[in-house]
Amino acid sequence: MSTLSTNEIRVGMKVEVDKEPWLIISNEFVKPGKGNAFNRIKMKNMISGRVVERTYKSGEKLDVADIEETQMRFLYKEADGAVFMDEKTFDQITISNEIIGNNQPWLMEELIYQVVFYKGAVIELVPPTFIEMLITETAPGVRGDTSGRVLKPATTETGAKVQVPIFVEEGEKVKIDTRTGEYVSRAGS
Amino acid sequence: MFPGPEANLLKDRAAMLRKARGFFEERGVIEVDCCALSPRAAIDSNIDVIAASVSDRETGFLHTSPEYAMKRLLAHGSGDIYFLGHVYRKGDIGRVHNPEFAMAEWYRIGLSFTGMIEDTCDFLRLFLGPLPASSISYRESFSRYLGIDYTAASLDELKQAALPFSPSGIESWNRDATVHFLLTHGIEPHLGRGGLTVFTDYPPHEAALARVVEKNGEKVAERFEIYYESVELANGYHELSDAFELRRRFEEENAIRQSQSKETYLLDEAFLEAMSRGIPDCCGVSVGFDRALMLRRKARSLGEVLPFAWPSML
Repeated sequence: MSTLSTNEIRVGMKVEVDKEPWLIISNEFVKPGKGNAFNRIKMKNMISGRVVERTYKSGEKLDVADIEETQMRFLYKEADGAVFMDEKTFDQITISNEIIGNNQPWLMEELIYQVVFYKGAVIELVPPTFIEMLITETAPGVRGDTSGRVLKPATTETGAKVQVPIFVEEGEKVKIDTRTGEYVSRAGS
Repeated sequence: MFPGPEANLLKDRAAMLRKARGFFEERGVIEVDCCALSPRAAIDSNIDVIAASVSDRETGFLHTSPEYAMKRLLAHGSGDIYFLGHVYRKGDIGRVHNPEFAMAEWYRIGLSFTGMIEDTCDFLRLFLGPLPASSISYRESFSRYLGIDYTAASLDELKQAALPFSPSGIESWNRDATVHFLLTHGIEPHLGRGGLTVFTDYPPHEAALARVVEKNGEKVAERFEIYYESVELANGYHELSDAFELRRRFEEENAIRQSQSKETYLLDEAFLEAMSRGIPDCCGVSVGFDRALMLRRKARSLGEVLPFAWPSML
């Protein structure tokens, strides 16, 4: 397994600590004028999402996490998960509902997702940042307010519950930010 | 040339360089521009030196401070002197570290240790305004902020005290590393809050090039540091002029370097020879000019005030 010195560790790198993968958030060099140097490293557990800060002696080695990221196309849902296909090898895998978690409403056939593997097992599914989806259910549109500041609840073709401006009608396509679940604009704009 | 804030920054920097020189001029301290490139490296177990290829056959070293050169001048009878220029340290890259930084270093002959502390506080007030100063000893800081007697505590007890600050791999740390960790993580955050903190009475093994004296039945180094807003700004000594003791300390530092698989350096015999001829009883201090400017401008990192910060990859 390859290692990295704490001096070489940069934001965005992935390391293995206590047999779990961690994403580096920050690495601060701490050193008194005439004393030992340290690296104060903030990292996020890639499985639990827990953020911790730990201080290492400078020059200490950390293992590089065996992380692989692959682009995969969503094919269809099954009872206990969803089937994706590797864009390059055409291999198909099933990702469990547990891993899909809160991303269920963002599963749209034929879209490309980023699938993160740790030691060969899927640990995370990252949907495209913006997805265009059809509004299937919402109260009739109100023409008066076009500011977009007044919102109403709506349901999309995938069952996602979103807030849209009151002028949006059923059957319209809108663009949603999957990180926040917020309406961005009408589709195509 | 530079619009907006950059122009102000350059003007402010120039003004502070001018004020710093004025401070020394008023005190009759003369400027010396020591060589940045030296055939011998400064020896400190925790400071790495940037080597330079001087010719096809010769390696030189960029100075990590003008200390050895200035002391050679003192041995030659220079009288009170100051240096205001750039120094270089390998691997020092971070929020308040840049591998090249501006340092003000000066030596005052016959000035007492407390007089030198006062002189340094006044210098820092040029940058930071009329701040009050308070003093705390190394020993007192450990008992006040961590509730431990750092000399009586066992290594295990020191490690216990370190745990709340999330060290990693502490099982293998020695006493020095553990103490430095407690200092940087458990004590420094409390220092220099709203005023200057003079941190003093270092343990003898952290004397660096300071004299060791007996105080209240305990051996302590006449070394001080000054902090403002948790940032270390100055490091001063009542200068040790005993060439034998200096040689012993350099050899000890080299041995520590070797034990840590770090490069060791040849001793600077020209410096030791000058010290064996003797320097007058004096105090010396160095101040991180860029850090003082950073705090003056309420910036969070050196990069915000350096016109040419090292492009850190972190």
